[in-house]
Amino acid sequence: MVGGGVIQQILRRKLHSQSAATPVLSWFASKKVHEDAAASSSGVRALALLGAGVTGLLSFSTVASADEAEHGLACPDYPWPHDGILSSYDHASIRRGHQVYQQVCASCHSMSLISYRDLVGVAYTEEEAKAMAAEIEVVDGPNDEGEMFTRPGKLSDRLPQPYANESAARFANGGAYPPDLSLITKARHNGQNYVFALLTGYRDPPAGISIREGLHYNPYFPGGAIAMPKMLNDEAVEYEDGVPATEAQMGKDVVSFLSWAAEPEMEERKLMGFKWIFLLSLALLQAAYYRRLKWSVLKSRKLVLDVVN
Amino acid sequence: MADVEVVDPKKCLEESCKPKCVKPLLEYQACVKRIQDDESGHKHCTGQYFDYWQCVDKCVGPKLFAELK
Repeated sequence: MVGGGVIQQILRRKLHSQSAATPVLSWFASKKVHEDAAASSSGVRALALLGAGVTGLLSFSTVASADEAEHGLACPDYPWPHDGILSSYDHASIRRGHQVYQQVCASCHSMSLISYRDLVGVAYTEEEAKAMAAEIEVVDGPNDEGEMFTRPGKLSDRLPQPYANESAARFANGGAYPPDLSLITKARHNGQNYVFALLTGYRDPPAGISIREGLHYNPYFPGGAIAMPKMLNDEAVEYEDGVPATEAQMGKDVVSFLSWAAEPEMEERKLMGFKWIFLLSLALLQAAYYRRLKWSVLKSRKLVLDVVN
Repeated sequence: MADVEVVDPKKCLEESCKPKCVKPLLEYQACVKRIQDDESGHKHCTGQYFDYWQCVDKCVGPKLFAELK
């Protein structure tokens, strides 16, 4: 703020000394000459507005650069296998990612928009999904006697929630709410890369930064202090297919799973997009030809000026 | 099967990318030295820390997935 005022003073002095330095300044100078006595205040007002505008711009830039921790470290772009225009998900990765979610993340994070039947044909067979669903207890009812009862899960049930409601979740996690992960890769800027960088990016804080008890340092998290501790540690999970479960491998797999959860329609969307863009391009060519055909009558006219004096 | 020690490829690549990012690393270390005797608790090296890790990330990013299944 103080710097802004100083800059404004410097600007005023510069404008007074260099009368014709730039076209803008010469316009100001000519304005001052034309409108004298009573109207000179408008010239000063214009000058003040310019000074205020520049001050605002400069102070904004200084504030933004001092708050880089507030925005978090920018995450790099990783070459996801499903990135290409016709690339599908790596379904083996989705299956492993679901295993990571179930064993590492599900104790705190819900995924309340995904049902067991959504996994069929994507990561598990119908029998496998049915067996997984049957392992959980679901409250159903009321029955004929008007009572709620519990039953084993079915394919149509949603994935189980670790906490009954947000308040319970906050209470169990020191006031922080572990967000629902159903749409997380769409709900964060550059979501896939951000989540991977966050999960694998737990590091020692820089010199001079201390994080209070209960929080952990993560440079990618806006502000730097995140409530979630580092959850992905080498070999925390034993993969069914024998792939070594390193931190980076688990991160990749769980983000593939989360990407699928947020955008299950991606593969169909890409196929549809490719098909229709191709067909519409053909249609464009046809339409262009037809237009030029119809207009050729007019475009090949010959106009004769027959002037009689 | 012998006990195979699992090495995280990301940590490995970050180590190998260190030589490429020596300049920001030295800037960070210089900053650490500068603020060592600071008593106020307001000085920190987040800027240099971010510059260094951004350099390492840019180096590791394109290579990491080739090491994973």
